Amino acid sequence: MAKERSEVKDIDRSLYDFRYEEKEEDFYKVREGLTPEIVREISREKHDPEWMLEFRLKSLDIYNELKIPEWGPDISGLNMDDIVTYVRSKTGMQAAWEDVPSDIKDTFEKLGIPEAERTSLAGVGAQYDSELVYHNVKEEVLAQGVIYTDMESALTGEYEGMVREHFMKLVPPTDHKFAALHGAVWSGGSFVYVPPGVKVEIPLQSYFRLNAAGAGQFEHTLIIVSEGADLHFIEGCSAPKYNVANLHAGCVELFVGKNARLRYSTIENWSKNMYNLNTKRAICEEGASMEWVSGSFGSHVSYLYPMTILKGNDSHCEFTGITFAGAGQNLDTGAKIVQLGERTSSFINTKSISKSGGESTFRSALTIREGARDSKASVSCASLMLDDISRSDTIPAMDIRTNEADVGHEAKIGRISDDAVFYLMSRGISEEDAKAMIVSGFADNVSKELPLEYAVEMNNLIQLEMKGAIG
Amino acid sequence: MKINSLKSLTWNALKLNEVILEDKIVLNGSGKATVEKIPAGAMIGNESCSDCGGCDLKSSFNIRSVKCGMGEEAEAFFAEASKDVLMVHARPGRSVTEPVSIRYLMENGDSNADRVEIHAAEDSSITVIMDYSSSKREARGFFGVQTKIWVGRNAKVHLVKVNLLGSGFLCLDDIGVFVEDNGYFDITQMCLGGGRNYIGLSAALKGYKAEFNGDMGYLCLNDQSLDMNYYIAHTGRKTGSSLNVKGALRDRAGKNFRGTIDLIRGAGGAHGNELEDVLLLSDGVVNKTLPVILCDEEDVEGTHGASIGRLSSDMLYYMQTRGFSKYEAELLATKAKLNSVRNLIKDEHTHGRIQYYMEEAFK
Repeated sequence: MAKERSEVKDIDRSLYDFRYEEKEEDFYKVREGLTPEIVREISREKHDPEWMLEFRLKSLDIYNELKIPEWGPDISGLNMDDIVTYVRSKTGMQAAWEDVPSDIKDTFEKLGIPEAERTSLAGVGAQYDSELVYHNVKEEVLAQGVIYTDMESALTGEYEGMVREHFMKLVPPTDHKFAALHGAVWSGGSFVYVPPGVKVEIPLQSYFRLNAAGAGQFEHTLIIVSEGADLHFIEGCSAPKYNVANLHAGCVELFVGKNARLRYSTIENWSKNMYNLNTKRAICEEGASMEWVSGSFGSHVSYLYPMTILKGNDSHCEFTGITFAGAGQNLDTGAKIVQLGERTSSFINTKSISKSGGESTFRSALTIREGARDSKASVSCASLMLDDISRSDTIPAMDIRTNEADVGHEAKIGRISDDAVFYLMSRGISEEDAKAMIVSGFADNVSKELPLEYAVEMNNLIQLEMKGAIG
Repeated sequence: MKINSLKSLTWNALKLNEVILEDKIVLNGSGKATVEKIPAGAMIGNESCSDCGGCDLKSSFNIRSVKCGMGEEAEAFFAEASKDVLMVHARPGRSVTEPVSIRYLMENGDSNADRVEIHAAEDSSITVIMDYSSSKREARGFFGVQTKIWVGRNAKVHLVKVNLLGSGFLCLDDIGVFVEDNGYFDITQMCLGGGRNYIGLSAALKGYKAEFNGDMGYLCLNDQSLDMNYYIAHTGRKTGSSLNVKGALRDRAGKNFRGTIDLIRGAGGAHGNELEDVLLLSDGVVNKTLPVILCDEEDVEGTHGASIGRLSSDMLYYMQTRGFSKYEAELLATKAKLNSVRNLIKDEHTHGRIQYYMEEAFK
């Protein structure tokens, strides 16, 4: 007898896969590869201060010394000799939307960025390839003393001292090979400073679009949330698909001051030719709270483990993440937490879905050091396998060095429960609808943490449409 | 020597991917095994099982090919260090009611490595107790044992391993298991003694409905360390595994636990579960836990859980209202954890030895 099977559709990427052919004369780019000359050229183009050029060259040396990680997904398809590390539009960054070149403007219009800015954001930065093409902040947010600008303006303007004090201090170039690469060729990204006690009521957003084939994007995001301040920052990323490898090796450094709160939400939807080797790290002072909300849907290969250092006493971190790995994807995601202060607490809660031959790996590291008395931590991960050609692994590590800690961990890998389907069917729901409801509910803990428009986008990304098929 | 490598590597900074043993091990052959009695239905010998003639072995049967948990370099070490193999065999269809006891008395300065093979033929069952001890607490030396187990169709093996060695011993305990259709392998381990202890276990659940059950209890005091690497491969359909590890760390003790459940494509209906429960009794301890599930089969279920930390405040409060001090309450909780594993050993003599060792350790 033929067996009826239910299938979950792949993510519909057509929204993100459109592309405009870039005219050579409209863009400036360096040649492929990674040499000291290219690094100098990027630095010259960006009008770096002298110390930044030295920093870049030193990072390049570190890059050449460090090995490719041997523990994660295969990245042998990534050849740095083929990657263009710097591409920018010749028009420069605009503060007025109408001044942005029409093809770039159309790209962001299709992605809904201006609309989101009008309806629900306090400020927007839009990066196209290596540089920001548009940046705008609402007057009332500026009036609060909030600084939200592109990294280049911050670096070469009045905030240079603040940038120099914080730039790649949390993620030093020695951290790993791709942090060193970032240090050498970084470009674009945002700088945010929230003064003490200021609560930014509506989110700021940066959107990163990598349009050029065979290019890399290396944006640097530096956010300083001062004592008692509050901020929600949203990051979105996408790219059209090409037949050549693209690389994303961005870096995010977050400094969360005493009793401050920062929520950092990401919907990552790079194309399936992308190597996403991104590094994100936060440090929390006394009483601070760091919240990560992370959705990983795109990329061919992903290494993504936002890290939080709970340095101050009573600081807290929550990480909520979902990963959806479809055909041709190997997504290695998770989180790292280091608890140093007393009475610190952390909570990691992740979900992953694998289908159509996709591979997802949840990888985490929880470290509670000697001085972190009365600390608590919980790590929870659940994985759903939707067919028998996919793969799902969980690799959670815990390193506990004080007896005055309470740590709990639970993980589960499995398929959609027959009992749950039976229960729903006994209430008159069809098998297909029942499975759709279960998968939708599985992702619910992440979608409810997202702003409404992003939750809608996520639900669009996961088209949990079930269909009957003979199999 | 590289041992206890993870199948799925992770960040090198965690120092959990493998162990590099830099000790120069010089064997002096002292501390040989003593088999106390040979119960009816069992055979003991010093030759390869395939030559014993006690059962109708298939030509493909080769217990020597069973892979152990410590890896290839340990395999080569044991092959070189111990030419003889102590073989324990349960005859087909026989239920060996009395346990086979293999005892190693390792005194100060002893250094020995041994190999043991346990073969349970079809429809048989057997319990083997392996006990390594020293008469003096502070005894120093080296003890290594490689144990390979073949569990035949519908057979059952219960392996008990008890480590009561002196605190200066380096101990390597390398275990490999192969389970055929409907076979059941059960291991109960108590690791209380030794100075630096390394355990590697690899179980291949090849047969239909092959089962693995593991219970491990440990106590690490002073500068003791324990490194565990368990790897359970589900290749057969409807195979099952359960691994429960519980123990306590005090003073400057350290422990690494790696537990990997590998649900391999084709193992439809398989389920694997691992649990770790660690009581931390001092601020200077180092506890590392890495419970891994690898899965490339849809119709399976894998779970793991861990609870690490101090005695819960509710429990402590309850105990203190009954007149126990914090120290006494922790002691009681530690003994309760270890006794829950000890009680799975159905041998009074071994019970008594473990009890005595624990009482002495807590003095």
